[in-house]
Amino acid sequence: MTSLARWAAVARRELTAALRRPSYWLLLGILGLTAFGFSQGNVTISSGEATAGGLRSHVTSVAAQSMFQSVLITAMGVWFLAIGAGLVLIRDAELRVGEIIHGTRLTAREYVWGSFAGALAAFLVIWGLHLGLSAGFNHVLATGADTPHIGPFVPGNYLYPALLLGLPQIVFFAGVPLFLGAWTRRAIVVYAFPVAVVVAVLGFLISWSPSWLDPAINRALMLVDPSGFRWLNETFLKVDRGVDFYNTAPLPPDPGFLLSRVGLAGIGLLAVGAAARNTARRLLQGDTDSLVIGFRRGGGERARPAEAPKSQAAVGRTLRELGMRTVPPGFFAAAKAIGRIEVRELLVRPWLYLFVPLIVWQSVSASLFALGPFDAPLLVTSGAMAARQFNTLSLLVCVLLLFYTVESLMKERTQRLAEIYRAAPVGTGAMLLGKTVGNVVVAGVILGAALVASWAIITGRHLLGNPVGFDLWPFAAAWGGVMVPTFVFWTALVTAAFALFRNRYAVYGVGLAIVIYTVYRMTLAGFQVEGAALSWVTNWLAWNSMATWSDMGAFSLYGWALALNRLLYLSLVPLLLALAAMWFGRQEFDATRILHRLRPRALLRSGLRLLPFAVPPVFLASLLFFGGRAGDQGPDAEEAGKDYWRRNVATWTDFRMPSVSHVELDVELDPPARTASVSGAYTFVNHRDHAYPELPITARPSAPIAWTLDGEPHEPDDRAGLFVFTPERPLAPGDSLTVGYRYDLQHPRGLSARVGGRGEFILDSGVVLTGFSPTFVPVPGYLPGIGVDADNRYDRREYPDDFFEGETEPLFGWGGTPLTTKIRITVPEEYTANSVGRLVSDEVRDGRRTVVWESDHPVRLFNIIAGRYAVKEGRGTAIYYHPQHDYNVEEMSAALDAAREHYSEWFYPFPWELLKLSEFPAYAGLAQGFPTNITFSEGIGFLTKSDPRSHAAFTVVAHEAAHMWWGNILTPGRGPGGNILSEGMAHYATILLHQEVHGDRHRIEFTKRIEDSYGDARFVNSERPLVQTDGSRRGDGTVTYDKGGWVMWMLQQEMGRENLLAGLRAFIGAYQSGSDFPVIQDMLAVLREFAPDPEAFDAFTAQWFFDVVVPEYRLSGVTKERDGRGWVVRGTLENAGTGRATVEVAATANERWSDAGDAGSRTVVSPSYRDTRTSVVLDAGGSAEFELAADFDPDRVLVDPDVLVLQLRREAAVFDFPE
Amino acid sequence: MLEIRNLVKVYPGPVAALQGVSLEASRGMLGLLGPNGAGKTTLMRIVAGLLEPTSGAVFLNGEDVTGNPRRIRRQLGYLPQSFGFYPHLTGAAMLRFLLVLKGVEAPRGLKHLAAELLERVNLQDAAKRKVGTYSGGMRQRLGIAQALAGNPRIVVVDEPTAGLDPEERLRFYRLLAEMAEDRLVLLSTHIVEDIAVLCPRVAVLSGGQVLADTAPGDARARLEGTIYEGAVAKEGLAETERRFHVTQAVLIEGRNRVRVHAPDGRPPEGFEPVPPSLEDAYLLLIRNRAPKNGQPAPEAAPHAAS
Repeated sequence: MTSLARWAAVARRELTAALRRPSYWLLLGILGLTAFGFSQGNVTISSGEATAGGLRSHVTSVAAQSMFQSVLITAMGVWFLAIGAGLVLIRDAELRVGEIIHGTRLTAREYVWGSFAGALAAFLVIWGLHLGLSAGFNHVLATGADTPHIGPFVPGNYLYPALLLGLPQIVFFAGVPLFLGAWTRRAIVVYAFPVAVVVAVLGFLISWSPSWLDPAINRALMLVDPSGFRWLNETFLKVDRGVDFYNTAPLPPDPGFLLSRVGLAGIGLLAVGAAARNTARRLLQGDTDSLVIGFRRGGGERARPAEAPKSQAAVGRTLRELGMRTVPPGFFAAAKAIGRIEVRELLVRPWLYLFVPLIVWQSVSASLFALGPFDAPLLVTSGAMAARQFNTLSLLVCVLLLFYTVESLMKERTQRLAEIYRAAPVGTGAMLLGKTVGNVVVAGVILGAALVASWAIITGRHLLGNPVGFDLWPFAAAWGGVMVPTFVFWTALVTAAFALFRNRYAVYGVGLAIVIYTVYRMTLAGFQVEGAALSWVTNWLAWNSMATWSDMGAFSLYGWALALNRLLYLSLVPLLLALAAMWFGRQEFDATRILHRLRPRALLRSGLRLLPFAVPPVFLASLLFFGGRAGDQGPDAEEAGKDYWRRNVATWTDFRMPSVSHVELDVELDPPARTASVSGAYTFVNHRDHAYPELPITARPSAPIAWTLDGEPHEPDDRAGLFVFTPERPLAPGDSLTVGYRYDLQHPRGLSARVGGRGEFILDSGVVLTGFSPTFVPVPGYLPGIGVDADNRYDRREYPDDFFEGETEPLFGWGGTPLTTKIRITVPEEYTANSVGRLVSDEVRDGRRTVVWESDHPVRLFNIIAGRYAVKEGRGTAIYYHPQHDYNVEEMSAALDAAREHYSEWFYPFPWELLKLSEFPAYAGLAQGFPTNITFSEGIGFLTKSDPRSHAAFTVVAHEAAHMWWGNILTPGRGPGGNILSEGMAHYATILLHQEVHGDRHRIEFTKRIEDSYGDARFVNSERPLVQTDGSRRGDGTVTYDKGGWVMWMLQQEMGRENLLAGLRAFIGAYQSGSDFPVIQDMLAVLREFAPDPEAFDAFTAQWFFDVVVPEYRLSGVTKERDGRGWVVRGTLENAGTGRATVEVAATANERWSDAGDAGSRTVVSPSYRDTRTSVVLDAGGSAEFELAADFDPDRVLVDPDVLVLQLRREAAVFDFPE
Repeated sequence: MLEIRNLVKVYPGPVAALQGVSLEASRGMLGLLGPNGAGKTTLMRIVAGLLEPTSGAVFLNGEDVTGNPRRIRRQLGYLPQSFGFYPHLTGAAMLRFLLVLKGVEAPRGLKHLAAELLERVNLQDAAKRKVGTYSGGMRQRLGIAQALAGNPRIVVVDEPTAGLDPEERLRFYRLLAEMAEDRLVLLSTHIVEDIAVLCPRVAVLSGGQVLADTAPGDARARLEGTIYEGAVAKEGLAETERRFHVTQAVLIEGRNRVRVHAPDGRPPEGFEPVPPSLEDAYLLLIRNRAPKNGQPAPEAAPHAAS
């Protein structure tokens, strides 16, 4: 037999063995389901349009397949490859076949390379089948008119990514674990490899890409990323290139990347070669089957087996003299002994010390860089750290426990202690419990290490001046109370699975499938995919349960459901251990008798024995299931919404209501009970020219409503929550009537069904209620958003170009003229309750506080917020905050004062007495600018990481405060472009306020930040001009906020600051109290009157408001040369993007900004900074040469130094002269 | 009293490892002798509660322990044929752990007891070494120490002397003999010397059946006057084997020393009568299970009444 034949025989044997393992077929099942999911178009490249009939990127393109394959192999394949290839040599050692195998002519090289080839081939077979399934699902099953995400079948689209991105990492992921297994003969080390890969790749290499990252480092990270996804993303995906590109472009690799892929595969093959050499060396030492080598110190310190010296000391003495007796150990004593030995075994192994830093690094580092609204970094508080690490730690520790538990259960078998161990008079349950406890200690070690790391970081930062100190409670609550039960349950589940399958590969397959499925579902839920979130009954990881962590009340939103969920999974532990004890096979079952055990009577008997264990989990699961169904997240509530939509959509969608002129509201709140008694009345005035025979009002509290009409009891027609009032005589133009109501409210109602935040709530930790929501107060008219989900979602509304002509309805709030409010709120004495307007009374009686708020100037919206607050008063402003959240209050108060002062000066005098800003628990991650009563989630502003350089807290306050003017004083119209007058203008106001308060440097940083945000989040194919942006398309958010603010900033350059501000004041004055609500076209019509050059104004608005353009500048051929006593800089500037703009090019020397501010803390230019500038006008695709004369030696050339022109990839429009 | 009733064990294949084995024993040492594949280990594992029989039962003091192996584990000292230990633990720690699992108590505590037991098996100087560094013989001795620990009513030892040098084997014989004074010791082996030295009673298993259940002395006595020994040239051995029941043929100094069973008193020429050995009886029984040359198998060792 030739060497090749021997190699082939080994490879064939390994391939056959691998394909017989259930884990590979389980992987194929998972991949098949994934392929099916992809074929449905739910996951694809974020480009094109999401709506029906819109342009869609193909899941069948090279780009999409590259994305899928690169990530899938890293996320899923690496586990199976590592186990499949890494355990080959270990398995043979366990089976002790080494003596036999290596007694033949087979060489170590043939053996190792053959084993590798077999393991590799097995995975390639599975991967090939996966590609076949993908092609089948995509091109056979998912065809038809409903599949715009399916492109033509091109085999190369599947094979090219498989070869370029797939094969190198497959070889790498198989080769390295094989070497680790050969070197250490420890399965647990092999498992460390995929953990390390997933942590490094998914947790860092493909996700960490801050805008400030040095391009050279970014490039290096692209080349070292084994998945190849970073290269794909940074080169092609990050900045949207449009759907045509992604559907057709071949994505050729650059030489550097191609070399890195070859290198990656080469490392895998080198690792196999090293494994072969290692095995050969062992054979030379006569070591064929050792499982206890471990890492060798000093090149061979391993003690050789040596006989103990002979002694005759014991001869002649009897055993009887020892006085031994046997008393079978108790259950817990035995479990304790086993647990101790397990812990001892685990702690002496070095692998644990490899896993722990890996997991802690991933978990802690990810928690440090969380971003809030407007990409503002968040403070690292104890609660935030504990909550942000929750998912990562839960997931990684569960994966680790899967491996540790299985290997722990395999240990007696692999170390051949099983016969002695199992013959001991210890109950199987005690054995399994002991092992479970021992393995859970591994989790404890990791949690302890993560806790210490968190403590060190928070305390270290605190010592360096960070305001936040360490608090143990959030860690104890979130990790000890919520996460630890997961580990206990998971370990018991893995134990039971092992007892059932008695095969490590099967258990790994099942365990990984459960983890992957859970994370997949909850990740989809994170992307707002309806129905994806697991319920409290099935969410065994309590995934995302800490996403709404609040320092103001950690568990007050769904604490009961979470507690029941944790109890449910803890209650499953005895059942699982009982099942494990039953199946464990401590006594090898006889095949014939197994059949007897499967007889109905025997099964019934077994079932009855398990019944006591099953009762608690069944009871708890029932409580959660039925409680969740009965609550306001349950199907009954969803069905009620559907009924509302079904019965009313056709009749009332376009119904326009008369004005509400006055709101009277009385709310008695009982936050601990989550209840309120609500009574009030709306005064309607018919401001239109026709009479109203009917008035619809939407109201959806759970309790019955007592209605009145003009003070008399009234029974309106209840159309599934839309109450239609029919006055005795139609409401004539100019007439008024009053509708009164009274009901009791509980919100949230019942038991939570799944994780997730709430926009409104009455909770012990705080109260947030708004006039938007028919759950809190009746809302005039029909609300088209209620009851709409994936089943009945309709296409966006198409607006004619002149839709704004005539009277336009408001974007939010109720139509007609502004209204007045009188709102009476009763709360427990220790609460502060805020609403719109000014406080006219505040009385405390019998432990209850009653406050009355009245609008001191008309408003269009109202809300209520309450909590246990401390107050910081400013100049006509006040901040109400959680007493422990005082970190940014000074900065926020200064921002609120500055906003009130300067916005009043620039836009319109602030018409109310007091501007308040109140904090609420992070159950909703939003900020809302109701008139005089701004509300912030604690993660916004209050817990923003703000420092003198970023002014992040200032930014969010400046934005929200701007809504007093852009949203309230001027309420935009409903329709395309309307929201830009709210959010885009708020961003523009923030730019101005930064400039005013902090100077150019911070204005530049803020404008660059929102420019980056626009570049990253825009969707080329779905982006519409500002005047057509209605929020319905992908990317409309960044267009509305970031581009909207930027275009106004550029318009200021076009018109001049004072002209624009004068125009805006005139615009607000024209629309602030009427019943016609403006959109962009209305604003431009007013502003044009103030434009010094109307033609230029028209050209600007045609390009930036009525078209989609964005320049992208490139510098090339930049040189500098001495010219007498100065320097001349020459180069070429190209506009690789679209649009026409005048842009400055500057040659500069030295750092521009000084760290020292001026007397008003505004940034100033550094004395050493020098620049010289020239202006260039470029059309789309145009280029021009430029020349700059400088009396200094320039070190840099950059485009648009003052950040005045919105552009893509600004960081590429910089040239640094080599030193 | 241990009573094994009609045990049958069929492995998937199917392979009948035991075909109706019945034995009874109360105190002392019972040797189980048989060739490889006879079913000894299967029987031992069933008795130790580690393997479920296809049918039949094992009774301990009249109680069926087949379906409830916990009952026998409480009274069991067990040394399997093949075993290992946690390599990272020291010998003393490993033994202490097993003592805890077995519920062993001693007046001076487990630490002291473990040291004493290790001394009994001559591992006192290796007590603090990790088991992973032990030789095969040392591991075997550690296994013996744990099997003898406590006060088990039944000690089941499967091929216990494998890997022991003659000196250690002798030491183990003494320990086992002491144990057998007031309890039942089941010793499974294919080494006849072990049985000859230790067991007042031996059961011979072959093909999953008990071929004989007797005392070694009885077995020898039945062959008295029928065993002859002589030298046979290499080329004559085959002819001798064809014509006579050869019990043993060993090379001594390059010549075949052959022992034959000749109940008719007509041995090959030049052969002298010798005292029968237990090995003669055993090998005769095993080799002559099937009739040879038309002659019936000799009744070397009939079942003894017990």
